[in-house]
Amino acid sequence: MLPTVEQQTEAPALAIEGLSYTYSGAGNPSLSGVSLRIDAGEFVVLAGRSGSGKTSLMRAGCGLVPHFHGGEIEGMARVAGRDTRESGPGELADVVGYVAQDPESQIISTTVASELDLPLQFRGDHPAERARSVEEVALALNIPHLLGRTVATLSGGELQRVALAVALVTRPPLILLDEPTSQLDPVAGDELIWLLRRLNEEWGVAVVLAEHRIERCLAAADRVVVMDRGRVGFDGTPQDFLGYSVNSQPALSSPAARMFSLAGIDPLPVGVRDARAILRDRGIAPGVPGGPDAGGADPGERDRPARGAPALRSRRLWIELDAGEGPVDVLRGIDLEIGAGEKVALMGRNGAGKSTLLRAAAGLVEPAKGKIEAENGIGLLTQNPGDYLVRERVGDELRGPAGEAALAAVGLSVPAGADPRDLSGGERQRLALAIALAGRMEGGDLPGLIALDEPTRGMDRTLKDGLTDLAGLLSGRGAAVIVSTHDVEFAAGFADRVVLLGDGELIADAAARTVLSGGWYFSSEVARVLDRPGLIGVEEGARALREPSGERTRE
Amino acid sequence: MNRLSPLAYVPRRGTLQTASLAPVAFYLGAYLVICFLSRDPAVLVAATAGAALAGYGCEADRAVRFSIRLGLFLGVTMVVINGLVTSRGATVVARLGEWPVLGRVDLTGEAFAAGAIIGLRALGTMVVIAVYSACVDPDRVLRAVHRVARRSALTASLISRLVPLASADQAKLSEAAGLRGPGAVPVGRMALAQRLLGGSLDRAVDVAATLELRGYGQGGAGGGGRAVPSRYDRRFWIAGAILFPAALLSLATGSGFDAYPQVEYAPESLSLVVTALFLVGGLVPWRRGGRARAAHG
Repeated sequence: MLPTVEQQTEAPALAIEGLSYTYSGAGNPSLSGVSLRIDAGEFVVLAGRSGSGKTSLMRAGCGLVPHFHGGEIEGMARVAGRDTRESGPGELADVVGYVAQDPESQIISTTVASELDLPLQFRGDHPAERARSVEEVALALNIPHLLGRTVATLSGGELQRVALAVALVTRPPLILLDEPTSQLDPVAGDELIWLLRRLNEEWGVAVVLAEHRIERCLAAADRVVVMDRGRVGFDGTPQDFLGYSVNSQPALSSPAARMFSLAGIDPLPVGVRDARAILRDRGIAPGVPGGPDAGGADPGERDRPARGAPALRSRRLWIELDAGEGPVDVLRGIDLEIGAGEKVALMGRNGAGKSTLLRAAAGLVEPAKGKIEAENGIGLLTQNPGDYLVRERVGDELRGPAGEAALAAVGLSVPAGADPRDLSGGERQRLALAIALAGRMEGGDLPGLIALDEPTRGMDRTLKDGLTDLAGLLSGRGAAVIVSTHDVEFAAGFADRVVLLGDGELIADAAARTVLSGGWYFSSEVARVLDRPGLIGVEEGARALREPSGERTRE
Repeated sequence: MNRLSPLAYVPRRGTLQTASLAPVAFYLGAYLVICFLSRDPAVLVAATAGAALAGYGCEADRAVRFSIRLGLFLGVTMVVINGLVTSRGATVVARLGEWPVLGRVDLTGEAFAAGAIIGLRALGTMVVIAVYSACVDPDRVLRAVHRVARRSALTASLISRLVPLASADQAKLSEAAGLRGPGAVPVGRMALAQRLLGGSLDRAVDVAATLELRGYGQGGAGGGGRAVPSRYDRRFWIAGAILFPAALLSLATGSGFDAYPQVEYAPESLSLVVTALFLVGGLVPWRRGGRARAAHG
């Protein structure tokens, strides 16, 4: 049933008053006295560090809290005028859509068409109405080609799009999205954000979007709400948020805002277009040929990072996989060599072959042709570190000198009796890596190659900085570190070199500052603002802006 | 990239996939009944071949091949076991003397023949189930069940989603277990199973939450109006209307096959008619022009 006109026009899309919530069995509340009003048609970005209460707030907004998760609740939340204490998630289904972090658990049906049809069927819509709604939402999200596919054959990005389509198919006035871009490549992530903006403008849907990569969505937002230890720490416009984040929560600030702040430029920019306009107003023209080059070396030299003895060698590597719908060439003729001590970011769109390359290096998939070898051993951490943690005590996972050496190698010091589930996200990741490395170190030497498959998913910037430090630690001890990632800003901070895959082929392989400043999607925000070869980092960007040579008069 | 099970449903444009649930169930039900209950070797072979033909006609090649391999393995196993545990029959092939547990073991041709009938029934049943599994959309089945038994449908929905999720989780956990360094404590099957069980419970909660969010608890399940029928429904209704009575008649009149004390097989004319019907019935799902055109039709 569609919400009444009164509900849509008079009641806010979401109204929360004095909401406090503690999960069953938890010691501390996840939400403390939260009050918030989101009006129809608003686009709100929900920011905050990991564990700040964003997900709990979303769950409260769709009725899962308290109806599904139990626990203790005070205060109230109303969705389109309906009290969530009285209406459960099923009854709220036609006024709020919710997309959770993991799309795999959000799909129930066998085919995409059935999945989209399900909420309409539960609502009791006529088959003809259902068919039209399914068709329209598929067109809106550009997924008509997926309608006949089985969900088991979809990539993470496709699953995410389907989950979003399911949340929208009943045309609810409010949609809540919990880090929907965490599994998407930069291209798909940007597409999704602007798709949400379009739906927000054309359909009038109020959007609440929780996101760590704030630079990705700030320009699309009307408003930013920051959660801080279960409370609303900030609620204001994107412009005001930039000042708040730089001064009070630097971990939440966007790279361009940090760069401007460090360079002493005011106002801070909401996005790339805004940043360029501000620079133009100050007489600084982006992309000036011959502008400052932080690399200080000629491009040819930048393109040949110094490499030690090979840790990974791949020659004309072809990998063919068959998911049940016929064999597909996932990697096509990859030639690659990675030297000891190198820090390499492996990038590319969803389905480009990044994970397959790492799995082939670890011997998990056999080449159809060519070869790949990690001569001095490999430690591979797959996408979910939790898969490595099967016992309830750290000491039961790693014992003896080999275990201690592995824990020391990743810089982790936790009691043997600690439960891995009680560790922070970063600690769990280090523990999983220690498990992968244990016994592979000869006399304290690391294996030649350490590979991490999309380790930054769902991480805030503090955790990513910790991961960058860990990579530096491992690289400093002689191991080559290769990280497959969609996170351009993380790659800009972590990598010496970037290998870019496109549809199974190697399409770029050069120094990070070359690759990450030479395009649009696979470029850091600083590079997109300044558009100067080799400039990708916040500090160097700010330095360039401070230097007199960096300021050019508009012509 | 997840690998689909050979028995997994894959949406295609075959007639079995596009026809409505009831006529398809009626048509394949006839094959299932005859394969599961018949003792007539010619009918069993024809029904198995017919079911395989039906699967091939709807591009369920992988499912058919997989089920034939599995069915043959089961069938041969049954022949061997029946040969070892049954000493009835006049035609002694070999005397193997006294065996522990089994006692005196005489291998007879009749015991092997009786085992072969059981094996054929297993093979045919496997093929029919495989064709059904690969060609019939489980979502439609669940929706149909939901109309009449909501709680059962909820359970079935959870299971149908949890099985592939658990399978994917098991693959990931096993892979991670294989990637552990040699110095880490190895992961035994028990530890892996416990971890998988714990993870499955979390998954179940997530899937149940998703069902809630989709509006499962709402009263309007099933939707008003009837689904649009398929243009292929009629042929399956007609085929089922011929095959089902033929199957029942064949079962009622007996097979003309006796394994003991000596193998005797005297097929009657009805048996030959039923054999021909079930063999030709395998062509019912085929479209004019064969399956190559069906893929684009």
